[in-house]
Amino acid sequence: MALLSRVADRVYWSARYMERAEDSARVLRAYGDVLADMPGASQRWRPLVSISGSNVELPAVAGSDETQVAQFLIADREHPNSIAMSVDASRENLRTCREVLPREAWQTVNDLSIYVRGAAVTSVERRRRDRFLGRVIDESRRLDGVLQSSMTRDEVFEMWRLGRYIERADMTTRVLGVRAATLLQLPPGAVDEFGEVQWMSVLRSLSALQMYQRATKGPIDGPSVVRFLLFNHRFPRSVAGCLAEMRSSALRMPNHATVLGAIETTERELRRSRPAADDGEALDAAMDAVQLALSRLDATLHEQYVVH
Amino acid sequence: MANEIISLLHRLGIDELRERQRVSDLEILTMGISFTVYSDGENIDRAWPFDIIPRLIPGDEWSQVERGLAQRLRALNHFIDDIYNDRRIIADGVFPADLLDDSTNYRPECEGIHPKFGVWAHISGSDLVRAGDGQLYVLEDNLRVPSGVSYVLENRGVAKRAFPELFERHQIRPVDAYTDELNKLLMSLAPDGRLDPMIVVLTPGIFNSAYFEHSFLAQRMGAELVEGQDLVVGDDDCVYMKTIQGLERVDVIYRRIDDLFIDPEAFNPESMLGVAGLMRAWKAGNVGIANAPGAGVADDKCVYAWVPDMVRYYLGEEPLIPNVPTFRCMYDDERDHVLAHLDELVLKPANESGGYGIVIGNRATDEELAAAAEAIRADPRNWVAQPILDLSTAPTLVEDGIEPRHLDLRPFILTGRESYVTAGGLTRVALTKGSLIVNSSQGGGSKDTWIVDDPADLHPPAVGSERNQQQHRDGDR
Repeated sequence: MALLSRVADRVYWSARYMERAEDSARVLRAYGDVLADMPGASQRWRPLVSISGSNVELPAVAGSDETQVAQFLIADREHPNSIAMSVDASRENLRTCREVLPREAWQTVNDLSIYVRGAAVTSVERRRRDRFLGRVIDESRRLDGVLQSSMTRDEVFEMWRLGRYIERADMTTRVLGVRAATLLQLPPGAVDEFGEVQWMSVLRSLSALQMYQRATKGPIDGPSVVRFLLFNHRFPRSVAGCLAEMRSSALRMPNHATVLGAIETTERELRRSRPAADDGEALDAAMDAVQLALSRLDATLHEQYVVH
Repeated sequence: MANEIISLLHRLGIDELRERQRVSDLEILTMGISFTVYSDGENIDRAWPFDIIPRLIPGDEWSQVERGLAQRLRALNHFIDDIYNDRRIIADGVFPADLLDDSTNYRPECEGIHPKFGVWAHISGSDLVRAGDGQLYVLEDNLRVPSGVSYVLENRGVAKRAFPELFERHQIRPVDAYTDELNKLLMSLAPDGRLDPMIVVLTPGIFNSAYFEHSFLAQRMGAELVEGQDLVVGDDDCVYMKTIQGLERVDVIYRRIDDLFIDPEAFNPESMLGVAGLMRAWKAGNVGIANAPGAGVADDKCVYAWVPDMVRYYLGEEPLIPNVPTFRCMYDDERDHVLAHLDELVLKPANESGGYGIVIGNRATDEELAAAAEAIRADPRNWVAQPILDLSTAPTLVEDGIEPRHLDLRPFILTGRESYVTAGGLTRVALTKGSLIVNSSQGGGSKDTWIVDDPADLHPPAVGSERNQQQHRDGDR
């Protein structure tokens, strides 16, 4: 079966946007959960804005309290990375390539999109938010389940996986670059009271808490959290894990030499960040470098399969 | 069976019917069965409007209609092929040559071309109406890019779940075979010697009102859905598509783009939708195109009036399914009749589409009729007139309960080496009381159409009970 370049591109972006919506939902849910333990912490929501993407600014009119940030990240239709817009973008991309995916996959995305359109605005409020975020995560997982269980392992499937994993790797580096780096930079003692809770929340926002605890068996410790999320290639949301998945997909694509090259460059950049695991400032810079490598990988995929 | 449905509807009661309607609507929404309307400068993707109460047509009547439609399309294809080649029908004085001069759908670029099997309009949709005499008439033929067939198939899926008890007990002809038949037809159009041909559906893109259908057909046939930007014509005059591995040869294109836009090199140079060089490739016999460019020449309100003559001329047969009687104003006697009976007729300009310029005699003001008479005298060749038809109705679930609403029917006809007609077709229903506007973009709905083969149960279908008007058309092809 031939795969049109344009279709490959749209499948890839549909996957990226769906992953973006899911990951934002995870981060937001974990953050809301930890801040609930800290009364009066509503001013601490601002860092979430930077996680949701570079070059993103809260509208000048908005403040930085919980409701405004949640509104911005969930329902803002002017903000291209909001959950509502990401789900819409995933649907719009998929709508132009329905014929290459199982019908049930399209229905899952369409279903979620209908739900989000109706519920996003009313789900900003804390009381309803968790249910909404849970649904976004569940539907995104259901979608991968549909593909996993009913889709031919063809090039469309691999493009989908490439989109999923590159976005996930990117999100993991953002969470680490923003939240972990900030935590590591606090003077000793400043985080004691809530330190453990905060690190738990970092792990939770990547659904990694339980797996981390099983892997390390010790008390939660900042640098080891960072190392787990960057290098534990057996954990599927770690950056190394995502790159390994991308490599296995790339190997099943035609003419993959340049793509493998770009994956290897990213892996090198990732290895180079190892010493930064216990230094906040260095970690922030290292994550920027990995993100840059990921965006070069994205460009390579585009050149190899879309524009030629 | 009509009686059984009525009694089932009564037994279920209005609340249960509404509940089933609600479930169907929800299903249509989540399955993403949609159509796109352009409104307020925006393209809106809307859920497809569907009325759960089916429309019934007896199997023996339908078998006759099928033969009539296949016959009609054979004749129309003979005509198109003749017009672009020998023009025997003109030489023999059966069809007036000067009608072609005014035709907006005649493509001189197509002269001298012989597509496979002599067929140009491979996929067509003819609109049928049942008039007050109970007879089904052809109201018009759509030979360019008729749409709606995907909804026929989707409606059936939804109807099966809405009334499982009826499907269990009755022989309702299935509609699912269409996409397979279409696939076979398209395969047969591949250039000779191409094994395992590559078939693509060419769409103008997501903003087209029928995009859902383009995608649906590609899915069902396992064909690629392509846009103009995905294709390129090489120096060897072959068509290629851009894949992740480079260029790959395309053998057959089912185009859902108007022919004026398919090739900026041959037609509209401004077109961003088409593929430069496509006509070259087609003329060289390197790619099959359905429908062939130029097929629209026979899809014209004036040419329509000659279709019964074409059947007699090319096939030596009598038409099995009638035209609505049509007066051709280019002939003195017919024009005199029209001018004397303006208020009893529907007046149609031949070269307008989308329902523009149509005058409905009994609804028009005296000034409008006078203006129409003036226009007819000035350019008689451009006008035809038809009697005002009494359209049939069917029970429909509306706000006040179950009420009769006017409807039409668009069956789809495939013509290649052989012919195939859908079992039924797309029934469109005007949801507003007394209205004759069935277009989904203007508040029209749809119904599943059941061709029923249990003769013992059958009763003559209900016919129109209200005095009414010829349909307005908005050219929603």
